[in-house]
Amino acid sequence: MSDDFGAVSAQEEPLYGAPRLPEGGTGGVRAILRDNLFKDLKNSILTLLFGAVLAFIALRTLRYLFVTARWEIIYDGPLSFYMVGKDFGRTGISYEMLWAGIYVAMFTGGIAAGLGNRSAGPAMSLSARAAMIGGPLFGVVFILSMTRTITPTILTVGAVGFLLLGSQAARRVRGALKRRLGLIMLALVGLSFGFITGFDPSNIDLFGGLLLTLVVAFAGIGLSFPIGVVMALARRSSFPLIRPIAVGYIELIRGVPLISLLFMGQFAIGFMFPPGASIPGPIPRAIIMITLFSGAYVAEVVRGGLQSVPSGQIEAGKALGLSPLTITREIVLPQALRNSIPALIGQFISLLKDVSLLVIIGLQEMLGIIDVVLARREFTNQGYTPEAYAFVGAVYWTLCFSMSRAAQRLETRLGVGTR
Amino acid sequence: MAVARTDLARSARPPWYRDVRVMRWVFQLVVVAVVVTVLWRLYSNATSNLRASGLPTGFDFLDRKSRFAIPGLQDSASFTVRQAFIAGYLNTLRVIVVGIPLCTVLGILIGIMRLSDNLLVRAAGTIYVELFRNVPALLWIFITYLVIILQNLPPLSDEVTPFGAFVISNRGVGIPWLNPDASVLTFIGFVGVAMVAVVGVSLWRRSVTDATGRPSRSGLYGIAAFVVVLAIGNFVAGNSLALDPAKVNGRQVGGGLNIFPPYLGLTIALVLYTASHVAEIVRGAIQAIERGQTEACQAIALTTFQRYRYVILPQAFRIMIPPLASQFLNLTKNSSLGVAISYVEIASIFQRVSNNATPALQALVVLMFFYLTLSLGISLIANLINRRLSLETRA
Amino acid sequence: MKRKWIKASAIGVAVALSLAACSSDDDPATSSDDGGAPAATASGQTLKDIVSRDALKCGVNGQLLGFSNVEADGSYTGIDVDYCRAIAAAVLGDPDKVEYTDLTAETRFTALQSGDIDVLIRNGTWTASRDGALGLQWTATTFYDGQGMLVNADSGFGSIADMGGTTICVQTGTTTEINLETYFAGLNVAYEPLNVVDEAAVLENFSSGACDGYTTDKSGLASFAATYDGDVTILDDTMSKEPLGPAVREGDEEWFDIVQWVVFATFQAEEFDLTAANISSYTGTNPSVLAFISQDFEPKLGFPDDQWVVRVIEAVGNYQEIYDRNIKPLGIPEGLNQLWTEGGILYSPPFG
Repeated sequence: MSDDFGAVSAQEEPLYGAPRLPEGGTGGVRAILRDNLFKDLKNSILTLLFGAVLAFIALRTLRYLFVTARWEIIYDGPLSFYMVGKDFGRTGISYEMLWAGIYVAMFTGGIAAGLGNRSAGPAMSLSARAAMIGGPLFGVVFILSMTRTITPTILTVGAVGFLLLGSQAARRVRGALKRRLGLIMLALVGLSFGFITGFDPSNIDLFGGLLLTLVVAFAGIGLSFPIGVVMALARRSSFPLIRPIAVGYIELIRGVPLISLLFMGQFAIGFMFPPGASIPGPIPRAIIMITLFSGAYVAEVVRGGLQSVPSGQIEAGKALGLSPLTITREIVLPQALRNSIPALIGQFISLLKDVSLLVIIGLQEMLGIIDVVLARREFTNQGYTPEAYAFVGAVYWTLCFSMSRAAQRLETRLGVGTR
Repeated sequence: MAVARTDLARSARPPWYRDVRVMRWVFQLVVVAVVVTVLWRLYSNATSNLRASGLPTGFDFLDRKSRFAIPGLQDSASFTVRQAFIAGYLNTLRVIVVGIPLCTVLGILIGIMRLSDNLLVRAAGTIYVELFRNVPALLWIFITYLVIILQNLPPLSDEVTPFGAFVISNRGVGIPWLNPDASVLTFIGFVGVAMVAVVGVSLWRRSVTDATGRPSRSGLYGIAAFVVVLAIGNFVAGNSLALDPAKVNGRQVGGGLNIFPPYLGLTIALVLYTASHVAEIVRGAIQAIERGQTEACQAIALTTFQRYRYVILPQAFRIMIPPLASQFLNLTKNSSLGVAISYVEIASIFQRVSNNATPALQALVVLMFFYLTLSLGISLIANLINRRLSLETRA
Repeated sequence: MKRKWIKASAIGVAVALSLAACSSDDDPATSSDDGGAPAATASGQTLKDIVSRDALKCGVNGQLLGFSNVEADGSYTGIDVDYCRAIAAAVLGDPDKVEYTDLTAETRFTALQSGDIDVLIRNGTWTASRDGALGLQWTATTFYDGQGMLVNADSGFGSIADMGGTTICVQTGTTTEINLETYFAGLNVAYEPLNVVDEAAVLENFSSGACDGYTTDKSGLASFAATYDGDVTILDDTMSKEPLGPAVREGDEEWFDIVQWVVFATFQAEEFDLTAANISSYTGTNPSVLAFISQDFEPKLGFPDDQWVVRVIEAVGNYQEIYDRNIKPLGIPEGLNQLWTEGGILYSPPFG
């Protein structure tokens, strides 16, 4: 269920290393072609074989995208169902407010990216850069091509602008402002959350589609982070009574599938509240279970980070006469958390994909909203399923691919595993 | 003098509330007490709420009749809930047992493709990995089952029957299977014995090699042992290997073994999805091993196949085991997504049972128990292999 | 320096998010003593909660034409939806004060048990074991259905008895599945079930020929046939009795009465020929009709006032109007769903 995206890479070679480019091949196009495609007979046969297969797949895909597919299931779905769900209108949140929230979030993300930029990593090759930008760009263009007006496109471009703005701002701030940057980012995250939920978290009950997917994933990773840190510390602590609790929690959760936990959220935890207590709605209950689930995986990621801190650091702290608490807080955790950032992003990507399971318990995230659209009078029983799945798949792919690439870059930059 | 000594003694032994050793235990006991209290509260709330709702609190429901039919199983409607759970568990195992080897093989293939020095091969590998890894497994399951299998396999009326022994249709894919007149159980038992024999023989050959220095040829001996044991098994069970071809039998695929479309969809999707993760693990492991080794192989003129088979993969395999085990666990847990296309595995049994007036909470405990046994089993095997391999390197 | 802000922000994010979570988990509308916990409902509590939050929480299917279905603008239509609106009109005075929750076959009963919804109107069949073991109560039947079988018109099947050796598509986790098994076992006909999750999956399976027949309630079959791109027939055999209607939690008798009598009021209005258009301008002198409209005999059913019947009928019309608006376009024969005076079995106990 979780993919341990970067978890192994804490100890091993980065999984997302740039594809190995063959050495040489500096002698113009012909030389490149020869070295990469037609070096010898075996290579030439492979080239022709794979060339044929890839060309066939590319042709079929393009023909489907531009000729056979009936995209009215998306743009007349309507598109807003896939993006924000069918009940979003009932929340009373205006689209301006939603976009404001997105802009603030993008700005904050830009600041984080800008801070990372300071320690410049190895330069990226042109082809790697093209792949990193090209794929997601194609995805975004595909998604935007389903819109009816130009407004969403302009707004999306604006969002990218805010991302760049944030990273520029992060590079330029100095002095007191920079020292408080953590707090400022935190405030911005809060502000963004406030805008998106219309300053009333109970509105989440009416969310659907991509918005629900993202809110659940962000809430899940954010809320599970403290649980994960505490559990990782507990698991590595020298407390003989507490360690088994952490081990029990982590291994129990990791031993069962997420869907069984989600079933528990829907069917069982309602019975665990004291009689007369108010029971959270289905979406908050799902968030609770996703948080518990993710907590165990985050704990393992953080544990990997803790293991990567050299024991000399702790010994140095002891030599200075620092208390164990201070050593953990001031020496171990900052380094461990920094080292686990790429793996945490990997965990977040897993979580984002896992949110699709909410459809099984009847919630209308992106996969769930497909059923609503397919049941509509105009579309029912007309075989629109492939188009709907293709669209949702494209949205997921664009999100996950760009984030995994970002994690990969961060990994090289932070030099995890090489220090 | 005396006063000073008392001071020293006092400072060496601080009051208990400042004594680290005491406070460590106090802290731990407090934490344990809180955890136990919370768990106890949850448990007692659950039992009292269930009782107040008139819902049963025990596990008696396991002995009630399940009343629903399980595809592919005769008389399954007369099963008890317990038997239905076990049938679902076996269906889950069917996915895992077939899925794990397939995704490993495919993953290794793709991982090697990604390291090819041919641009197109590399590109194909990259596209595969990035395509499958960045879309949820559940979506792949839907696409494979609802779109690819149901819409692209022919209906039973114009089925494809390669070699007259297979049937390919969207009502099931039939493959030749063991002679149903023979005792299948006996034969499967002999297959197990044959596997044990292979291990035994190869161990024996290795000890011979260690003692005498003669080539072990364990592969040859192993195959011989396997064939001999299987031949005996075939004889005892009543000619199991006279395979029963699949054919169309009215409106069903009869004879042979009929693989139902939901099983096919779930297994194929999980194999494709998990293979993309396995490929990345394989690539990382090979890259970690490769440096220097490739040149050495080329220096002694090994072919690419030999280089991978004898030098790189055996070493890479050791690094791969822990992350691979975690992928196998993921595949195992993801098999629960069969519930979304109504493949009757154990989570799907839970779903039906809990809808037919059965206490969901207890059924959930049963479900989780089954998965924990699976997860623990796989972790155990992975640990054993891991320990064996790491001991070897130290020797 | 850098270390510090990472640490500070990490702790800060943690605290902020946990605070955010607490408030998001606490639905302000249902805080305090709303009796959300299962089976802790005292009589009258449900109505108090509905009035205090000023909205009725109604659990529906959301994906079944004619019963409850989402339109392009996100609004709901269907017979189940109309009964949600009728109840809201009766107790809140406004048929639009309904919060719909889409429920699957699996989540519907737990949603009601755990207090996520006030009333479940999701084409759920009234059976003894559900009424008893699930801690629920069915109030009345708004639609009499029966399980049927849909086959391709050119398949040559005249009745279910002909269907030996076939593969049947059936939705998982429903009474349909059990009825199918019982019925085929009773006929001593062998078949292979093919479980499907929802109607979209039925379409893929049936249209591609992966199953020979599709079984569900006949109304569901009719709505499938109406939109299906192909020639299909619904066999005459009826495999089960499927009385569908609103269900409530056990233990709140007052709420039970309210839901039940709203349903009866729509039957009674049809019997009296009262429609959405004419009920408030009724000029006749029939004392039982006048009593029905004014509710002046003080039945003490728990309604907030005695104008509720007028509000219900003005909001959704009488049963015939509800039926004509939602079910008739699907081409489903009325069958039992007519007044007892017209050959059906809709029968309201007397208002008096």
